Parts: sequence; C-alpha cells; structure tokens
Amino acid sequence: MVRVKNRYLVVKFLYPSTTPSSSSKDVVPQLLQLHQPTPDAFHAGLLLRAIRDGITELFGDYGMGMASTSLKINYHSPATSTAIIRCPQAHYQMVWAALTYMTKLPKPINTPVVVQVVRVSGTIKKAEMEVIRRAKEIILRAKIEQRGGADNATGDGMVGHIVKMVERRREEQVLVRVEEGEEEDDSDE
Amino acid sequence: MFYDLNVPWNDNIRELQRTVAFLDELGYDVVALTHTFSGRLPTDLTPPPIPHPLSLPTPSRLRILRRCNIYLTDAATNHRIPQLQQHYDIIAARPTDERTLQQACASLDIDLISLDLTQRFEKHFKFPMLGTAITRGVKIELCYSQALLTGDATAKRNLISNATQLIRVTRGRGLIFSSEARSVLAVRAPSDVINLASIWGLGHERGKDGLTKEPRSVVEFARLKRESFRGVVDVVAGGEQPAFEIVEKNKQIQKTKKQNNIQQKRKADSLEGTPVRQPGEEKTMSNRQKKRNKKTGLEAEQ
Repeated sequence: MVRVKNRYLVVKFLYPSTTPSSSSKDVVPQLLQLHQPTPDAFHAGLLLRAIRDGITELFGDYGMGMASTSLKINYHSPATSTAIIRCPQAHYQMVWAALTYMTKLPKPINTPVVVQVVRVSGTIKKAEMEVIRRAKEIILRAKIEQRGGADNATGDGMVGHIVKMVERRREEQVLVRVEEGEEEDDSDE
Repeated sequence: MFYDLNVPWNDNIRELQRTVAFLDELGYDVVALTHTFSGRLPTDLTPPPIPHPLSLPTPSRLRILRRCNIYLTDAATNHRIPQLQQHYDIIAARPTDERTLQQACASLDIDLISLDLTQRFEKHFKFPMLGTAITRGVKIELCYSQALLTGDATAKRNLISNATQLIRVTRGRGLIFSSEARSVLAVRAPSDVINLASIWGLGHERGKDGLTKEPRSVVEFARLKRESFRGVVDVVAGGEQPAFEIVEKNKQIQKTKKQNNIQQKRKADSLEGTPVRQPGEEKTMSNRQKKRNKKTGLEAEQ
C-alpha cells in the first residue's frame, strides 16, 4: 500500500519588536510581548497565501508546482500564535525557507514577525502533541516569572498584564466592529 | 551550544537589548557584539567603543563576547592587529578585494574572514586560497540577515550565489553562520538557519557544525592566542586550594583539638593522635571472645 507522504511543520509566530501603539502606554514583559497573540485578521487563508507568495519569490514557478501539491494549513490558532502546516515530504525545505524569509504579516496587517519552525514531524499526531507541550511550557514559564515579578513590585505581574491586555483588545474590537460593520459586507462581495 | 558571532553594536541600547534577549529566547548560548572599524584604525584604541562592563542588562544564561571587524582596504595598514587583540575577544577581517582576501587567508593574524556577500565578486573563489585559511584555523563567515531584510532583489541573489559558491569551494568545511542583524527581525532560530544552509547545498550535519563546532573553535582559538603561552600551553587549574577552604579547614582542626583537650584533660603532645585508653574503660571484646566466655559460663553452671 503506497500512500502520499507529508511533513507537518509546527510553526510559531514571534513578535520581537514593539508595535508603536503599545510601546507608549505601558511596558509589557518581554516574554509576553514576544509570544503575544496574532491579530485575528490574520486567518488561515492569509497564511496560506503568504506562504505561496514566499515560495514563488524564492523558488519561482517550479518550487510552487512542487510544493503546492499538498500544501495545507491543518491548524491555526491566533490566540497562541501557532500553526501546523502540511507540505509534501520531498519539498518541505522549500516551505520552511519561505517561512524563514517572512519578515512581516501580509498586506492589510503588516505587523513585523519572525516565524520559527519548532518541529518537523511525519505525523500530525506528534505535531499536535508538540503544540500542547509548548503551550504548557509557556504557561509554566509565565507563572514562574509572575512569582519572581511579585517581589519587584513593578505592578500586577504577568497575569495582571494579560487581563489588562485582553480587556483592551476587547474594547478595541468592539470599536472596530462598530466602525467597520458596513464595510465588511462590501468586502465579502 | 549555539553561537551567533556577529551582532552589530549600536548606540541604541534598547534595540540592542531586545536583539540579545530575542537571541537568548531562540536558544543561542554565545553572542558576540561587533564593533566595525571602517577605514583606518584610530590612533588611540582605548577606550573601546563597547563599554566594559556592558551598559545593557543581559540574560544570565547568555555569554557575551566582544568582537571587532576591520575593513582591509590596502595591505599596508594592518600591522596593528596585535594591539586590537588586547581589547576584543575575536578579531574579524572584511577583505574588499582579491589581494586583501589573499593576504587575509595567507598571513594575517585574525580569527575570522567575513565577506560582504551582497556584493558581486569578479573572480571565483579558489580552494587553495580558502583552504590555507581553513588549515590555519581561520574560518569563513556567512551572514544571512541581509538576505532576509533587504527588498533589494539583486542583493538577495548575490548572497545566495556567493553562499553556494563558498559552500562548493570549501566543501562545507570551516564555514560559520552568523546573523549580522541590524534589527531584531533579522534574527532566526538555529534550526531555521540550518535549513537555509541545507537549501544552499550544505548538509544538515555540516550546517549544524557551522553554528556549533566551528564558531566554538574560533572562540577558543582566539582565547588561547591571547591568554596562553605562545598559543600552545594554558593553565586551566593550578592545583592550589581556594583561600577560603584552607581557612575553613584550619578552623576545623583547631576545633577538634579543643574538643580533645576538654575530654582528656592533660595529654602529652607527642601522644596526641594515637588512641589512648582510659584507665577505667575495658578493652572491647571480640565476638569470638564473647561466645567463648558465654560457653565457659554455661559449662560452669552445669
């Protein structure tokens, strides 16, 4: 029995440089800023298109033809900034290189980003396990930092920051929705 | 242990600190901050532009080195490299033309040759030239960041073609990958760099060597050159005890002496150390002796 062989890339989006809007208001801890959530506007379709553009830029039509046979976003979670990308086994390096060459999210968002491939796996099960392991690890680190940060008395520590951030984002989203409610309908058509 | 031997020093401390912290997060262990001397060397090298100790907070796990880049424009001005070695951990040279590259490979007392790969070189690299450098222990550095950040397509192309050329000519030996990241966004994780190298035609193992083994040898050679006797013999540990341990030990000895004196009131100094039996105390019996005593006792009862 012959089957099509794939590779699954577990990808992490990192945001090392501060966005101009958040830098002025308050100082977010380094760890939290680095692993901040991806903007919701960046959905799986945009990611796929960005990868395709990257491959065409680097490897041209040949690379596109080779890599696109089974290119697919299996999992994309903006909240944790992780994604699982399926690509053909023989040409996974091209997809990886395209991700490495990515410096910012595609057009409408334009946030500077560093994409890190944290795991290459032959089965999706192992890829999923890696995602879960990473998530647990980061929560643990945040907790440890929180404990350490309590002595410094810099504020509410890590958890407080997260709560604040979430609240602010919610407010912003509501505002955006109110403003752009009509425009969205136009863009769908 | 992953090495990134080229992070340009700039006066924007916040940006630099962010870069260093990000490198730590990505899993690098040793980072070298680079100061570049463009043109002639200044007459007065002190104080070095990178302050000592560093003015920025660094992650505790990360080891920070100092490195300087010198541009080789003509052959005459390079007699002051030994002076630089006192101030920096690594000395790298950036040849600008064929003749200086030849000189750097063959005779200069440097640790690294760092080529500007975005330029187009008129001539192909030749193995004999680069081979002498590698056998001398001078490694060749490939900086990948310009390929990522420039929008300039020709620079990207030049970098890829030069990198593949270098990999072909050196047969994958003696190459080092470093970032030369002018902003945080140009830094990539070690595994990503290894994948890039494998796209450029360098095997995975060799690519990993380019981030671990080869830069380590550069750092250690440079250290030996500065600190050891003629670059050959170095004293790692002299075998002497640390001072505080000796003091502790002396204290303990005195304590035990005191205790002994309290227990056994007056003893001649010469007898000290040999076990002395107190007059009232009985000699300890061996098990066999006990058994024998018991037996004789039982027999006597009967």
